[in-house]
Amino acid sequence: MGAADLNIPVATRVISFLQPPLSGAIPAAIIYEPGNAASEAEAASIERAGPLIAGKGTLRLKRVAANALGQLAGVRVAFVTSGLRDMEAQIAAATARQSILTITSDLGCVQAGHCAVAISITPRVQITVSRAAAKAANIQFGSAFLMLVKEI
Amino acid sequence: MRSLARATYLSLAASLLPSAACAQSVDYQALQDTMGEPVTTSVTGKPQRASETPASIEIITRDRIAASPAHDVPGLLKSYAGVDVNRWTAGQTDVAVRGGVQTYNPRLLVLVDGRQVYLDHYGMTDWNLLGVQLEEIQQIELVRGPATALFGFNAASAVINIITIRPGQGPSLAASAEVGTHGYGRLSAVATLPLGHDVDLRLSGGHQREDERSFPANQPAPPSLISVKRDEIDGTFEAAPGARTRVTVNGGYSVNSQLELLPTQVATRQRYEAMTAGLRADRDTDWGSVTGRIYANWLDAHFGAGASGTTGFTPTQLKNRIISAQGSTLVRLGLDNVLRLGVEYRNNRLDGVALYSPQIDYGVWSGSGILDLHPTDILALTFAGRFDRVRLASDGPIRLPAANEQSDFDRQFIRSSFNAAALLNLGAGGQLRVNGGVGYQIPSLIEYGLRMQLELGLGPDAPPILLAGSPALNPVTVWSGEVGYSRQLSDSTKFDVTLFYTRTQHAIASPGESLALVPTFIGGFAMVTSFQADGPFRSAGAEFSLSGTIGKHLDWRANYTFTDTGQKIVPIDILSLSPRDTTARHKANAEIGYKQDRWFATSVLRYTSATRQFADNALGQIALLDVKSALAWDQKIGIKFGRVTLSATGENITGADGATGSPIPADRRFLFGVKLGL
Repeated sequence: MGAADLNIPVATRVISFLQPPLSGAIPAAIIYEPGNAASEAEAASIERAGPLIAGKGTLRLKRVAANALGQLAGVRVAFVTSGLRDMEAQIAAATARQSILTITSDLGCVQAGHCAVAISITPRVQITVSRAAAKAANIQFGSAFLMLVKEI
Repeated sequence: MRSLARATYLSLAASLLPSAACAQSVDYQALQDTMGEPVTTSVTGKPQRASETPASIEIITRDRIAASPAHDVPGLLKSYAGVDVNRWTAGQTDVAVRGGVQTYNPRLLVLVDGRQVYLDHYGMTDWNLLGVQLEEIQQIELVRGPATALFGFNAASAVINIITIRPGQGPSLAASAEVGTHGYGRLSAVATLPLGHDVDLRLSGGHQREDERSFPANQPAPPSLISVKRDEIDGTFEAAPGARTRVTVNGGYSVNSQLELLPTQVATRQRYEAMTAGLRADRDTDWGSVTGRIYANWLDAHFGAGASGTTGFTPTQLKNRIISAQGSTLVRLGLDNVLRLGVEYRNNRLDGVALYSPQIDYGVWSGSGILDLHPTDILALTFAGRFDRVRLASDGPIRLPAANEQSDFDRQFIRSSFNAAALLNLGAGGQLRVNGGVGYQIPSLIEYGLRMQLELGLGPDAPPILLAGSPALNPVTVWSGEVGYSRQLSDSTKFDVTLFYTRTQHAIASPGESLALVPTFIGGFAMVTSFQADGPFRSAGAEFSLSGTIGKHLDWRANYTFTDTGQKIVPIDILSLSPRDTTARHKANAEIGYKQDRWFATSVLRYTSATRQFADNALGQIALLDVKSALAWDQKIGIKFGRVTLSATGENITGADGATGSPIPADRRFLFGVKLGL
């Protein structure tokens, strides 16, 4: 896993704080850029993370290319690989329309209001939530979780 | 201002709920797993990372509990900075924080999931009556300094909140059995059972026994030394009737018998029987949360059987009932700030024949507010305030002769407590913490209303001698301030230093050897000795802590506490209180843990400097007896075979007499355990 890769154990736990909580099989997407080596490597890293348990649900992963966002239909959670700056606005629009929670290691995506959650783990776990992006996607978290993260 | 107005309105609405509130429902394990460190609500009422609290706090996690040589909660606490753990007898333990060591320490509030287990009848905690198995503890939170503004009376020097695992973790079973020297044996089991969609049950039970320690020749032993016994059963039912609502029902029954040294230093057999029942509801909202809670605790205490010496102590029974209804709300103000508002009503009643009247009680109405502000990324400010309005009363015919007029019990008073704190992030992993406040210990119901006729064998013509409480006693006031600095020295090493000052005023003490009798003519002539407020004492000192890891398999921590205690108190033959003598000046602890594959081991070294503790001397008189300095070594080693763990533990392997801080010498003990986890 590269330094900027998404920390999947933390990301799956973040999903468990959604309100209302998700359960059962949870359709999830890895949004990546074909041809972008770093993006593809991060997507592969996420896929290798093994069974992804999120609270009382289990993620069912599929890759979705950033230029084929129509494949997001039915998806509830999307891991956005880093380095997709030019496509973030389109991704934000598509995921917001379908109430998809977007999680990334790219803080810039959250600061721009295009992704809902950013996760960094060095030097310690820091979770940043974009209130605007969450609101646009009609995503809600439990209040205990929100009191522990940085909301912008 | 609109936010504040909304918060006030919402708090009032919360207070009108059928059951009132405490803190929101928090999944501590899930939040810890997410944030990479323990999470607590015991400092400001809102969930916070342990590293971001504006108070001096220790969180003993589930993993650390499992690896520790300790077999009970005081044992887990004793190796942390600022903590004195005195095991007066095999079963009776007191925990004091930052000084003020005494038997039946009344200034430490102990809670289980926010529910009081502190016993109000005598103002103390029976650590063998918690009703909790070690295997069901999620974490133990120790917050040093007054926390009355959040928790109310008796969180005067510190608060300990024991958080249990949530039932909704899926089906599980943890069963343990331990045997050891000195007749030690412990059985416990904890099961969590899903009963349906978002409906879960947790059941736990345990039994423990051990032999009493041998009394030294210079102390009068009671006629017989009974063994320590404790039995408990507890059940918690949790349901989520809606996606954002959680309801918890809890009930428990515990019984404990053990030899204890009363504050008068008489060694007697006590038998405590406790029950609890409670209902709690939490509702998550778009703006925060609302919590409502009501619970009742019942205690049936049999005091004074088989008393030592010739003190004239008469066995008696006391029944205490507490009802508490609480309501609170957490309101997020903007992105970073939180306001917590709370209300509480508590009724506390004591029944018994050794009281001024058949029943003594008080009711307390309380309101509190905590504002947690983050004006910048590097600064956090916390302001907390609370008022408590107390109404004391007695009920039923007065027992004559009496030490007080009935009108003395028709008394009301108000106390206001506060905390203020600032946390400044200095960069490079450094944090500066400044906080201060005032908290209160309310006199116990016995200190208010005891009326016990002492049988001193003075002959038929002698007037009755009464040991009495006083309704005129005021709450004990504890002022405290601290400055702390912590720094991450490297990825694996953390350093913390805290300077503290605590001043305790009007500490209540029981009569000393002279009894200091005064006459009374209320309903007849008698001589009275009573619980009284003593002079002030202060403790000041420093706590140094270091912790870290070495490679993948070793973790370690070390701490040193210096405590200087000063006092202006009456002579000890009048009132038996002397914190300067009873509080150790130097304490140091070091722990190292090893874990690899199936093996784990934990070593704890504890040093405590010499003290003097109250006890009856060879003549049966209350005196300060020497307790030697002690270097104690505790060791646990274990191995896992799949779901079974085998362990061997040695306590006080060095055989230091003073290791328990009691005039009764400490034993060297060895325990062997097997644990099954499914």
